[in-house]
Formats: sequence, structure tokens, C-alpha cells
Amino acid sequence: MAKPQALIEQVRSSVAVEFERRHAPTLIADRKAAKAARHKAKHHKYTKAAFFRYCYYDPAFKFFCEQVLDVDYLPLPEATRAYGEVGVQNSSDYVCTPFKHILGDFAEALDLGADILVQFGGPCRLGYYGELQESILRDMGYDFIMLNFAHGIQLGYLGWAKEVLKTVNPNVDVPHGVVKLKAVAKMIEHLDTLRDYYLANAGFEVERGVFDAAWVSAMDAMRTCLDERDINQAYREAMAAFRAIPLHKPADPIRIGVVGEMFTAIDGRSNLDLDQKLIRMGVEVHRMLNFTNRYLRYNEPNLRVGAKDYLTYDMGPTSTLTVAAARKYAAEGFDGVIHAKSAGCTPEIDCIPVLQKVSEDYHMPILYLTYDSQTSDTGLDTRLEAFYDMLAMKKEKNK
Amino acid sequence: MLQATDWADVKVVGIPRALLFYRFGVLWTTFFESIGRTVVVSDPTDKAIADEGDHLSVDECCLASKVFVGHVESLVGRCDAVFVPCYPTGEPRTGFCTKFQSATDMVRNTFRDQKLRVISCEVSNARKMKDVRRAFESMAQRMGVGPKDARAAFKAAWDAQRAHDDALADAQERTLRRIDEERKAAKAAAAAGEDARFPLGILVVAHPYITHDPYLSSAVIDSLTDMGATVVYADAMDHERSYKKSFDFSGTMPWLINRELIGAILLAQDRIDGIVLISAFPCGPDSMTDDAIMRCIQGTPILNLMIDAQSGTAGVETRVESFVDILRFQQKGGYVHG
Repeated sequence: MAKPQALIEQVRSSVAVEFERRHAPTLIADRKAAKAARHKAKHHKYTKAAFFRYCYYDPAFKFFCEQVLDVDYLPLPEATRAYGEVGVQNSSDYVCTPFKHILGDFAEALDLGADILVQFGGPCRLGYYGELQESILRDMGYDFIMLNFAHGIQLGYLGWAKEVLKTVNPNVDVPHGVVKLKAVAKMIEHLDTLRDYYLANAGFEVERGVFDAAWVSAMDAMRTCLDERDINQAYREAMAAFRAIPLHKPADPIRIGVVGEMFTAIDGRSNLDLDQKLIRMGVEVHRMLNFTNRYLRYNEPNLRVGAKDYLTYDMGPTSTLTVAAARKYAAEGFDGVIHAKSAGCTPEIDCIPVLQKVSEDYHMPILYLTYDSQTSDTGLDTRLEAFYDMLAMKKEKNK
Repeated sequence: MLQATDWADVKVVGIPRALLFYRFGVLWTTFFESIGRTVVVSDPTDKAIADEGDHLSVDECCLASKVFVGHVESLVGRCDAVFVPCYPTGEPRTGFCTKFQSATDMVRNTFRDQKLRVISCEVSNARKMKDVRRAFESMAQRMGVGPKDARAAFKAAWDAQRAHDDALADAQERTLRRIDEERKAAKAAAAAGEDARFPLGILVVAHPYITHDPYLSSAVIDSLTDMGATVVYADAMDHERSYKKSFDFSGTMPWLINRELIGAILLAQDRIDGIVLISAFPCGPDSMTDDAIMRCIQGTPILNLMIDAQSGTAGVETRVESFVDILRFQQKGGYVHG
């Protein structure tokens, strides 16, 4: 009789046997390639930049490339399964899921003609994404340069700006760039405010689809902005359009807070459109986690004060935000919280014991969602519906 | 403002024998003993501890973290407080996995209902003596120890740790030298047409809390030694040299221990015959660095093993055996060239 799957002893192992050194023992691009790249960069030969797909920030990325770096921006089309596979196949099995998504995006961008890739840095594994992806893509045969924000962070702000921005454009106009960088920050704030309004109200529109149409045109308006004035103008118009949408919102709707990891909790492609799914159920969604709160206004020690019953130290890149937000939602009487993260995200896994205590103390249910590249859409639907039903019943009982 | 001395009544300090204990354990125990506390280190890992940790942890945690929680549990009731330090990732090139940053609060919340007391300190840069000292001194202050005593205790602890590390590094260096000599002798014998027996040096690359925890790694290490291989531990090699060397491999790698491991590989590669990577499933940093090592380090065969609570010893042994066979075959003339 065949053994059940669980009993078959599984040892994950792999062997690399290569007696000749074909690859330089380093992730850093070999000297010749690096020299050629430097030469081309010096003459500003690389001109088409691409970011990976990330939430709704694409207008800000576009503005950053065109106005700060002074290079063209290559927008990516809707995500496809094929490039997702490229990402999965070329990364190690159990690296966190965003890595695979981003690698697929980069491969796609390079196929579409990009020659500059932009990658962020961060305090967790994210800080190592850039270098590893650059090496993997080079081994795949692509030629490009990467603007990796993780380089030069040990040099302080100025050193970082010099090291990083000049990689792409040696003639980058720093004072001009600073002014435009301020505008980028403004745009991010506006995008987040718009999104917050959308999440809180789109579930209650009288006519289906009006909010989505307004959202699309707001994004289009943001994409065509050239300076801070345009950005403010676009924001005012979009907000006015949002507010003009008729709503039938009950006095006490079901409110759910979304917390979790920076990528998966926000990005629609990674969390299989969690926002949309919740909105379609008629839920008021709140999400403290966004660029504005994590970067522009992030003051970790002060944020931790709000959650000091649970936290002594900063537990990880977004952990304080996760716990503080969950506690805030609980204290404000939200019906439930959804914790979304990618498979293997260590800092967010470590938040779970803390969130369990928050949930216990405030009697508020928390749904824990882990996404990997195989997570199915229907499976998610079922779980969300069950969660919604539970919250609705609880609300009915407590009336 | 007078600093609170709310930990002054902690007389017996429990230290879990897991995670960074294998790296900084000498420092920790010497420090607490020097300020007059009794130290209880939890027993070596066994199945009961691992199972208990598995039971108390979130499913997705890595094996090493589950074992750690099991050790903390085994200390409940055996000490006044458990010492769980926080090693943040603030420094971009000498950080740790976020696990070590969140350990304190993870333990506090997991064991909240048992009213387990946790004492801790926050070390911002583990490579800088003054940074570490500041953290330990302020902890000593909360334990009611005067600044002078705290400083003396820290000095003793730092020196003890350094002496311990140096001794380990020397041992690795001696082993490497022995392999070199044996290889030279074997070459001479082969040239003279005699029956030559080549040594088989294997560099075991894993976090210290994997390599030196027999429950986790003995299956691998024992079968290596049983097959006549000489084992060199990458994590025990000279930390300073390894760390500096690692910048040849990667500019942005954020983790101190992984840096030391990769640096050790680069330093020792020409003196050993094979590399065995061991990681605990699913280790975050290793998921990225092991892939990079497998792709970029060539010229030496590499076996990458992932251990997991379910993996038994038989499966591991088979893999190690076939890997050693590859190496022996290569020594006898091999697959390529002559």
C-alpha cells in the first residue's frame, strides 16, 4: 500500500557539481561588464527605467523617473501568468513571494525594452533583493543597470543620493531633483489619501462601478502631472469626484482593518485583489499601512507607544505598524482585522503571537492570510465569505 | 531621572540554549555570572523540547525558532527570569534576521499567560564593543548593579567570548592545515606510485545554532565523519577575516552571520574538497544566500540540505553518502579531465 504523503520522508536537498569555475565567485557584476556599464551610464546611454508592479504607486514612480532622474518611464501592462512563472522558476523555492513577483516583472520590463531597473532597499530580506535579482537577471543574459536603493545606505543621505542617483544619470540635477522629490512625496500622500477614502466608501456606492471609474481617471490624471501644482490640482479634482458619488452607507457598517506585510497587504496582484473582494461584500476597509505612514511619517518609537502593552522593541520593518494598527482598530470597535502576508515573511510571522493576544484582549476576530504563488482565488473567496458571515452574525447578536 | 531597578530581584537567570546562544553564549553567561547571578542554561535539545516548541509556535516559523521556543518553555519555573536579548537589524551590513529582533516580544507574548518574566537588552551593532557594552550596562543597572561592577563584568564577558571565538577559529585553522599536509603527502605518494589516500575536507556552512546543536545537525555531521571526511566549520572560522572577505561576494548582504559564512567559504574554498550547506526550513536569510552560493561558487561541489522537524536521519544519510561518493570519485580521476 502506498504511504500517505505526510509519511514519505522528504528531505529537501540539491547538489551543485561544477569542477570548473565558469562563474566569478561573486554576485557583483564581473569587472568587464561593470566597466562597460559604467561607460554607458557616463554617456547617459541607459534611458528607459522600469519599476516593478506595486500597488497604486505607479504614477509616483513615473513622476520620480521623469522628473527626478530625467529618464523615460516604461509602464508595465497588466500582469500575466507567463511572466509570473518566469519569476518563480528563476528564484529559489522558499524565498518570500514578492521576490518572485518582482523578478518576473523585471524580466518582463527588460523584454519590453527597459534598460534601467529600480529596486528598493529595506531592513529585512528586501535589502538583499536588488543585488540577488540583478545577478540572476544577468545570468539569464540580460544587459541593464539597476538603481538599487540598498547600495550606499551606509554613506548617509548625501552619500546615498550621490552614489545611487548618479548610477543612472551622471548629469542629474541635484537641487532640481530635491524639489521634485518633495513633489513625489506629496503625490504619495495624495494617492494614499485617495485610496483611504476609496477603501472606506467604495463598498457603499449606489451605482456599481462608479468608484472604480473615478479611481481610474484619478490615476490617469496623476500620471500626467509635471509638477507639484499639477499634483495638487489632480488631487483636488479626484477628491471632489469621489465625494460627489452618491452612497447608501448604513449607520454602522461592517468595518475591517487590513494589516500585514508591506507588499502583500497592499498590492492587489499579490493579495488577489483583497481590497476589491472586501469592497464587493460591502465592507468599510481601513488600512494604516501605506507609504505615507511607513516612510514619510514613520516615527517608530512614538508609534510603539500606542502598542506598549504588547511591544518592548521594534520587532521588524512593518511589525510596529501592524501591531499598533491592529490594536487601534480593536480599540475603536472594528468588527475584524485581516492580517495578510507572503509565505515565509519572518517579521510578520513573529507578529502573529502578538496579534493573537490583541485579539484575545479585545475579543476581535483576526483572519490570518498567507499568500504564495499558488494561492487560489476561489479558496480565498471562501475564507473571506466565511469571515464576513461570522462578523455579520456577531454584529447581529450584539445589537 | 533615576533608572528603575525593577529587575533587581532576578537572582537566577535562564538562558535558552538556542539561536544566538551558540554565537554569544559565552558573553551572556560570563556577564551574568560576573554580576553575581546564577545562570541556568536549558538542557541540550531533545525531541520533547522540539515538539513542545513546535506546539507553541506559529506553524510557519523556522525550525530553529520553534526549537528556541521549546527551550524557553523548558525554563519556565526553573529561573526568576529568562534572558532574551534583541539584536536589531538597524545596521545595514551587520544585521541579523528579524527573528532576533522580534524574539523578545515574541517570547513575552507567547508566554504572557504563564507570567514568564523576560529580561532583555537591545544591541544595535553586535560588532561594536561599545554598542554591546551600552546595552548590557543599562540592563545591569536595571538589575541593581552599580556602573563600575557592570563595566568590569562586561569586560570579563567580552574577553571570554573573544577567547572562546579565537580558540574555535584556531581549531578550524589547524584542521585546515592538517588537511593541507595530508593532501601534500598523498600527492607525493601518488607521484611515487604508491597507494595514496587523499584526505576529504568538507566545509560545513550553517548558522552556529544549527551546526552546534546535535539534535539538528548530528545526522549530517556524523555521517560525514563516519565516511572518513574531515569537517571544518565555516561559522567558527575567524569572524573578522570572514566578514571583511564577504564584501568580495556581495555589497548589500544585510546579515552578519551569513556574511561570515560566505566569507569563510571564499577563504577556505581552495583548501577543502566539498561544501555542505545546512539550513533549517524555512530559513529566511539562507533562502536567498544559499541560492546565490549554489549559483556563483564553482569549482567545489556543493550539497545543500534543508532540515525540517519531519526529516529523519536515513534520508539525510543517503544524500550525504552519495555526495561523498561524488567527491571520492573525483579524487580518483573524476568525471572531467585527467
